[in-house]
Amino acid sequence: MSDNDNTPVKPEQDSLYAKREEIYPREVHGIFASWRIAMVFLTLGLYYILPWINWGEGRQALLFDLPNRKFNIFMMTLWPQDLIYLSVLLIIAALGLFLFTSVGGRLWCGFSCPQTVWTEVFMWMERKIEGSRPQRIKLAKSPWNLTKVIKKGGKHLVWIIFSLWTGFTFVGYFTPIRDLAAAIPSWDLGPWETFWIFFYAFATYGNAGWLREQVCIYMCPYARFQGVMFDDNTLIISYDEIRGNPRGARKRGKEKPAGKGDCIDCSLCVQACPTGIDIRDGLQYQCIACAACIDACDDVMDKMGYDPGLIRYTTHNEVVGKGRHIFRPRIIIYSVILTGLIIAMLWSLATRIPVSLDIMRDRNILYREAPNGDLENVFSLKILNQDKKAHNFVISLEGLPSAVLDPDQPEIHVNSGEIVNTLVRVRASEDAIKNRSTSISLRITATDDKKMTDEEDTRFIAPADWFQK
Amino acid sequence: MSEKKEIPKIQRVVAVLWPSFLTSGVAMILFYWIFSPGEVFPELVASGVSNMAFYSVTFLFLWLTTLTSCLLSYYFLRPCSRWND
Repeated sequence: MSDNDNTPVKPEQDSLYAKREEIYPREVHGIFASWRIAMVFLTLGLYYILPWINWGEGRQALLFDLPNRKFNIFMMTLWPQDLIYLSVLLIIAALGLFLFTSVGGRLWCGFSCPQTVWTEVFMWMERKIEGSRPQRIKLAKSPWNLTKVIKKGGKHLVWIIFSLWTGFTFVGYFTPIRDLAAAIPSWDLGPWETFWIFFYAFATYGNAGWLREQVCIYMCPYARFQGVMFDDNTLIISYDEIRGNPRGARKRGKEKPAGKGDCIDCSLCVQACPTGIDIRDGLQYQCIACAACIDACDDVMDKMGYDPGLIRYTTHNEVVGKGRHIFRPRIIIYSVILTGLIIAMLWSLATRIPVSLDIMRDRNILYREAPNGDLENVFSLKILNQDKKAHNFVISLEGLPSAVLDPDQPEIHVNSGEIVNTLVRVRASEDAIKNRSTSISLRITATDDKKMTDEEDTRFIAPADWFQK
Repeated sequence: MSEKKEIPKIQRVVAVLWPSFLTSGVAMILFYWIFSPGEVFPELVASGVSNMAFYSVTFLFLWLTTLTSCLLSYYFLRPCSRWND
């Protein structure tokens, strides 16, 4: 982060092109570890369970039904026309992330990012199979023998099975998961479903098993701009230099050696770090704020009989004795915008008229002459009924006086959740047309509910040579 | 950044694969937001090719395109002096 100051460059940073140093994070216990495990259960629990929940008879509650181009989101069904809601939702998510980050630092990274939670599960499997950090390091250094093959092979096998389940679940958000599950025993999956299951499984296996912290460092854009979201009042994980330095080893239970700080230089905070940094060097972009170092250090402080919190969540201002300020302009501005957006979106969703009209012109024939000598334009209408029941729609025309719709135009019946295409002819007599292109609008209205209506603008085109004189 | 620092290989690989993946995903969503496969490829839809196949092939094709673009960026970012000294 700070390349311009005088902090010495760590040797491993100079040789980044060299092979990556394998990281063997030490298992920690403590309040933050418990939070992280709880978050793993919450987030991954939701991920694996949600596609199995139905909302209504045989209707998957969360289904991004790409083949039929509609999204089920609990009681709602969204269509491609509603993409605006998805965009607003993404903006809300981004603003929410900014707000959280300015208050609490990279809480997202440490506790709820998919990369973190899946890595957490993969590391748990690794620990169960290969053992603790010293055992894993020993195993990695040992020559290949049967035990090593079994342990390493077993770990990868478990990882792959878990990844495949993850990939299957992922595809289950896009293809009805019950159909997918039914197709598994006979391996009757579609080719693309199969492809995406393996693709997502491979991504999970690669990211959570192999790449791990490198995803955060090299692939995550968020880590790169954390600096602009942080200020002196942002909660960050800090080593209390004033209290800890000078560091030095000592025996447990003995008086603190004169001139030494509280840090006994046991390096457990470094061993616990999943990204392999030393938090005592200060805030670094690699830090995902998982707080494993806090748990590790508090444990040591407890054993030494010192107060906890040598490494703790705190703000820069607090460390230098300026106190904690949560409500600052940036937080208030984010909160106001966020609240406004959420209210606007909910209001818009609540008052949404569940019908939509799309008009396409016949591009080959712009106009033609009707049997009675009038000029005729033909439009292709796409009527989408997003309501829960069927409606009959009538079409009306505005914008071109004396123009008429084809009198044979029948009412159009559209079932719930259905799209109906229909052709509409608009006719106008020659003397009524003043321009080569006249703006008109077509409106559809349900016969049983005047509020079920939508309108779209289009143009009525006349021959160019009429106006060239 | 000091001149000596090399960019790790994984960062180079990721810098080509990852942005192309993301942008092709966004491009695909925008494309099919406006057009349905039936509008773009009516003959293929009529012959029974599934929408899932359209989305997948479109995505992979876009990824190939953006990947090429990222690879070219990477190629042109290499120091010129190495060849022209």
